[in-house]
Amino acid sequence: MLENYLPVLLFILVGLVFGVVPLLAGFVLGPRRPGAEKQSPYECGFEAFEDSRMKFDVRYYLVAILFIIFDLEIAFLFPWAVVLDDIGLFGILAMGLFVGLLLVGFLYEWKKGALEWE
Amino acid sequence: MEQAVFYLFAAILLFAATMVITVRNPVQAALFLVLAFFNAAVLWVLAGAEFLGIALVVVYVGAVMVLFLFVVMMLDITVAPVREGFARYLPVGLVVAVLMALQLGVVILSDEVALVGGLIPEPAADVNNIRAIGGVLYTVYVYPFEIAAVILLVAIIAAITLTLRRRTNMKHQDIPEQLNVHKDDRLRVLKMETERRPDRGGVGHEEG
Repeated sequence: MLENYLPVLLFILVGLVFGVVPLLAGFVLGPRRPGAEKQSPYECGFEAFEDSRMKFDVRYYLVAILFIIFDLEIAFLFPWAVVLDDIGLFGILAMGLFVGLLLVGFLYEWKKGALEWE
Repeated sequence: MEQAVFYLFAAILLFAATMVITVRNPVQAALFLVLAFFNAAVLWVLAGAEFLGIALVVVYVGAVMVLFLFVVMMLDITVAPVREGFARYLPVGLVVAVLMALQLGVVILSDEVALVGGLIPEPAADVNNIRAIGGVLYTVYVYPFEIAAVILLVAIIAAITLTLRRRTNMKHQDIPEQLNVHKDDRLRVLKMETERRPDRGGVGHEEG
């Protein structure tokens, strides 16, 4: 089984090389003449107004967490789709209840207006 | 070969996990956690749990870590004051760490798991990994499976109740309302008599 994953391993290695080698090459080959003005942080050419760490609106978090829940639901659907022929009607009903419960949640968030972006 | 790959990725995993708890910048810590998840996924694939490895990448790296980054960015932590409460929280942290180590020890040393003896069951050659999971998850373990749905439902409702708040001071366009506007709502036609222009009237008076 693991032989099938050799291309994945090679892909990881090649990806690593592609990521690291240009950085190293720039580090080694590029001229470096640092100056106080050059190394100071800037924003589109002028002085930075404020710290780049700032608070984000909590609604981004809400969208992300709702995404994760349905992402998990999809993860449960994959093995189910593979074995659907073997588990028959019982499996369909089990998944129906699962998706139905999440549908309740989906309708709740829809009606509550959590999906609206104002 | 397989051993070498295992030790390589296990070493990167340990390195990344150590960096998660030692690096000062919380965003970097979250990114190291991503690296740790990736390496754990490789180890799972090496152990024969292909589907779980892919699910780890999809769910944890793809979704949970994005959420972690969001939270880190939202909390407004700067780098400096992170270690302030180190001595204060040390006792609680130590208790939790000892408990977790004990639990790990109980699991690893127990006869039922028998990890030490190297008795990880060989996956059956003819059964696909994802097929093996699906075969029991929706039949034998159907009750925990439905419980998972209920937990996800609770998570949806909890997230909405905690974070959704209406804003009253927002100015926004309501396009259907704009389209449904009728002429009568905006325009009023007044009937009134025509009037003489006052300047002409003045001229007429002068002549008279």
